[in-house]
Amino acid sequence: MKGLILKDFINLKKNLKIFGVLTLLYGFMSYTSGDASFFSTIFTMLFAILTLSLYSYDEMAKWDGYAITMPISKENIVQGKYLMMILLTFIGAVFGFLFAALMYITAGMNSLLQSIESCGIGAAVVILFYSIALPFITKLGVEKARLIFFAVYMIPFAIIFLINKEIKAGKLVISDNFVELVNYLERYLGIIIPVVVLLALGISYTISLNIYRHKEF
Amino acid sequence: MSDIISLNDQYKMKSGRSDTSNEVRENVFTDCKDAIVIKNLRKSYKDFTLNNISFNVPRGTIMGFVGENGAGKTTTIKAILDLIRIDGGEISILGSNARMLSNEMKAQIGVVFDGSNLHDNMNSKNINYVMKNIYPNWEEQIFNRYIKKLQLPEKKIIKEYSRGMKMKLSIAIALSHHSKLLILDEATSGLDPMVREEILDIFLEFIQNEENTILLSSHIISDIEKIADYVTFIHQGNIIFSESKDDLIYRHGVLHCRREDVAVIDSNFIVGIRENSFGAEVLIRNKDDFKRRYHQFNVEKTSIEEIMLLVSRGKERF
Repeated sequence: MKGLILKDFINLKKNLKIFGVLTLLYGFMSYTSGDASFFSTIFTMLFAILTLSLYSYDEMAKWDGYAITMPISKENIVQGKYLMMILLTFIGAVFGFLFAALMYITAGMNSLLQSIESCGIGAAVVILFYSIALPFITKLGVEKARLIFFAVYMIPFAIIFLINKEIKAGKLVISDNFVELVNYLERYLGIIIPVVVLLALGISYTISLNIYRHKEF
Repeated sequence: MSDIISLNDQYKMKSGRSDTSNEVRENVFTDCKDAIVIKNLRKSYKDFTLNNISFNVPRGTIMGFVGENGAGKTTTIKAILDLIRIDGGEISILGSNARMLSNEMKAQIGVVFDGSNLHDNMNSKNINYVMKNIYPNWEEQIFNRYIKKLQLPEKKIIKEYSRGMKMKLSIAIALSHHSKLLILDEATSGLDPMVREEILDIFLEFIQNEENTILLSSHIISDIEKIADYVTFIHQGNIIFSESKDDLIYRHGVLHCRREDVAVIDSNFIVGIRENSFGAEVLIRNKDDFKRRYHQFNVEKTSIEEIMLLVSRGKERF
């Protein structure tokens, strides 16, 4: 497993320079706009994209078929990929928070608590996205799974857009009970989000592992 | 121009024959432990089927696995390595079920595929670092020695490697963790003769240890002829023969004769015939018996390549 993680980090090394440039660019933009949360969100997303790159590198090299012949189980390979996804998201969130903290100290932008919150929510969204996307990538490969990502991204937007339209047209009336429920849930977001994320991760990992066990290389 | 005819499409090389050399071979098989045993392996695709194939790779030998492109070599090797789901049959490696190999067992198998399967932006130093953390029995010194011996650059990334260099690197990896079994799929194909020679020498060096075994698939028969102890010939998803190379060459012979002479020969002796405007070339089995019976013909030595060619074309014809 350690070897797999090392392999991934070595593969990401060539992205370092681009990341350096992007840090400076977004950092500057964030500083001039006076809002650190912009930078935090961007960074969580940027690191999230690296997970996709790792999958493409492995696919391009046809690595998995080779790795299975090594003293590594199929479970280890899937675990390695999920672990990298979580690690990269976590690093992204920490990076974003550190920047926000720096902005807070130097320029008094946003509160620290607010920054932790926005980084945490960003990470949760990324992990949720991958929980849905990774079984598809495991089954179809990054290239073919692209359409699925599009759907994963677009469906929530489309639903919200449609609901919004219906409400505006007066066809859909939101009952007070529903608003109350949302307000009630909002108070417990700190518990609900981690539970949902963990649950999604668990289900996603089980599905991916099952797909991987039956996959041909 | 040439026309190949087989008069006997039942080319029974594996079982049910009574010539003495075959009996000896059977004994050798049962006496020594096999590194790989494949029994009735079945795998169907839309346009291709591995048809209940069976063969053994005796421990301490080099098994050449030959057949034309698309004959089923890679599919068989993938099945051995548990990279595909099989429809039926059993495969064991070093005495264990190939589908349930422990990591300790897998660490003793070196695999080289056609192509490098390594990431483009890594160099040999990175590879050493990764493999050190994957193989519990990884030997950094041996790896570095191979890198030097095979003149592989330490800092160049794999993207800039030639095909030959990629294959050499894969072979260096396969040999740097005390492998007992090497499984190589087309490891010498597409390489220039110098590199091929170099790689074949490494295989011969590896096999000096009597515990070590190699399964080498190739469609370059001259390589197999050079180093293999046994030859397994696969054709259209069927194993045509799996035997000692020397036995094969010893038992078969080619005779050059006039076309009308062919009718005189007992068809049980004939494996295949190639006819041309000058006469006929006939591949004969049980050469010694044939010579005793037909003094008038001069039987010449044959090669694995010729045997394969006449057997496979003959089979297609009938």
